[in-house]
Amino acid sequence: MSAPIRKRGRILPREAGAAPLDVVIGVMAFLAALALGASLVADRAAEGWRAGLSGRLTVQVLPPEHGAPNPALAQETAAALDVLRSTDGVVHADEISQEETLKLVEPWLGSGAVIADLPLPRLIDATLVPGARIDLAALTQRLKQAAPDSVLDDHSHWIARLKGVADAVIWSAYGILALIAIATASAIAFATRAGLEAHHDIVSLLHQMGARAGFIARAFEWHYFISALFAASVGGALAAAFFVAAGGLESVGIEPVPFLPPLSLQPAELGWLIVVPLGSAFIAWATARLSVLAALRRIY
Amino acid sequence: MVRFENVGMRYGPGPEVLRDVTFVLEAGSFTFLTGPSGAGKSTLLKLMFLAEPPSRGLVNLFGNDLATTKRSAFAALRRRIGVVFQDFRLLDHLSAFDNVALPLRLAGGKPDDYTQDVEELLGWVGLGDRMHAKPPTLSGGEQQRVAIARAVVARPDLLLADEPTGNVDAEIGQRLIRLFGELNRLGTTVLIATHDRSLIENARAREIRLVDGRLVEMRAGRT
Repeated sequence: MSAPIRKRGRILPREAGAAPLDVVIGVMAFLAALALGASLVADRAAEGWRAGLSGRLTVQVLPPEHGAPNPALAQETAAALDVLRSTDGVVHADEISQEETLKLVEPWLGSGAVIADLPLPRLIDATLVPGARIDLAALTQRLKQAAPDSVLDDHSHWIARLKGVADAVIWSAYGILALIAIATASAIAFATRAGLEAHHDIVSLLHQMGARAGFIARAFEWHYFISALFAASVGGALAAAFFVAAGGLESVGIEPVPFLPPLSLQPAELGWLIVVPLGSAFIAWATARLSVLAALRRIY
Repeated sequence: MVRFENVGMRYGPGPEVLRDVTFVLEAGSFTFLTGPSGAGKSTLLKLMFLAEPPSRGLVNLFGNDLATTKRSAFAALRRRIGVVFQDFRLLDHLSAFDNVALPLRLAGGKPDDYTQDVEELLGWVGLGDRMHAKPPTLSGGEQQRVAIARAVVARPDLLLADEPTGNVDAEIGQRLIRLFGELNRLGTTVLIATHDRSLIENARAREIRLVDGRLVEMRAGRT
């Protein structure tokens, strides 16, 4: 008597021609992980910009646009400083030095003697008590009285624009993710139909022997679930490697672009990329199941 | 158990393959279905194991009028039927053991529950030493015995066999018929479609014959 057989054979044979589908799913997962990573980078950048600019006020004391420099610019700056420092809710106010101002414009205008001669505004940076509500209209009026050439900026317009850009990037990434999900589901549905065609004899026999639709569907859905999980894990891992490599660009001498957030992801953000293989596997599972159940409904 | 009333069957716009077929298979009966090739035997079997709907007439299976039975209930009805297909229809990627165990697996059985039964049955049909073999490596006769073992392993209420002894020698053929007889004594209703006259004469069972799509009662047998 032979040894008892405990392990059951697979209802569906392993498919020899599944490699192209795995490649498609892997590439889709790579692109999906890039889109997801981009949304995380944009979200972090927007948060950084918001945190950096909120709770701050900037006062510019503008030089005349034409003609000779205003000799009273320094007095106006000092008067504006006095107004700010006497305002409730302002913790700290200081003038930004000429050197620091030049550094701020350096990425756009470069450096040198010509830049030093430009009529740059005098800048005052003020820090507010966290959560303080300041009457900006009244403060603007007081500043105008003390320093007629001053302009108050609470950065809200700038923050709103940055948030708008970040939101656009994030929603674009979500849109790309949705398109990739649809494309992946379509590829799986197509592959499932091809699989049903290829295994028609097996499906027909199982159906004839009284297999429940769910039993037959399970044979297909797990096949595509495992296949998609593996392929999408490879694609997701490659995308993660891309983001890690992007974080190391500075170490090889490639400087970051000013104002653009670094493309690298932090370790916690990299963890989010696991959503891609799990999502791909779920899409594969659900698509295969629905495709098989729909096909079985057409059989007597 | 099975009741056909004025059943007609045609494929597409073609001529009727079965015409006004009326018969009853009582529970626990043993019946031979005979007839020349092309007379409609396989089509009649297909209607009985729910592979095709009839073009007209009434088919009643296990007390269920199929015209009014929900399709979702068909799977449970099919599990009560064991079928020996003329072309065996074994799954080539599964071993003989897994092929035979398939009906038990479909019924939700676990390997620990059915392994011994399947091994014993394979031994009984003379394939005890071939249970790990895949169908493509088995001879026609061995494949037929695997197909028969698969059809009977779950002790179905109704056993339908299409030329079940066509590829085996006379001795194995008699042994398989004894297996069907044993199953019949345990309560299974058996219908065997065959050309083998010696098989029919030895069994002394009821015979119904299809000629040009019409059914003729040839001989009443023991019930």
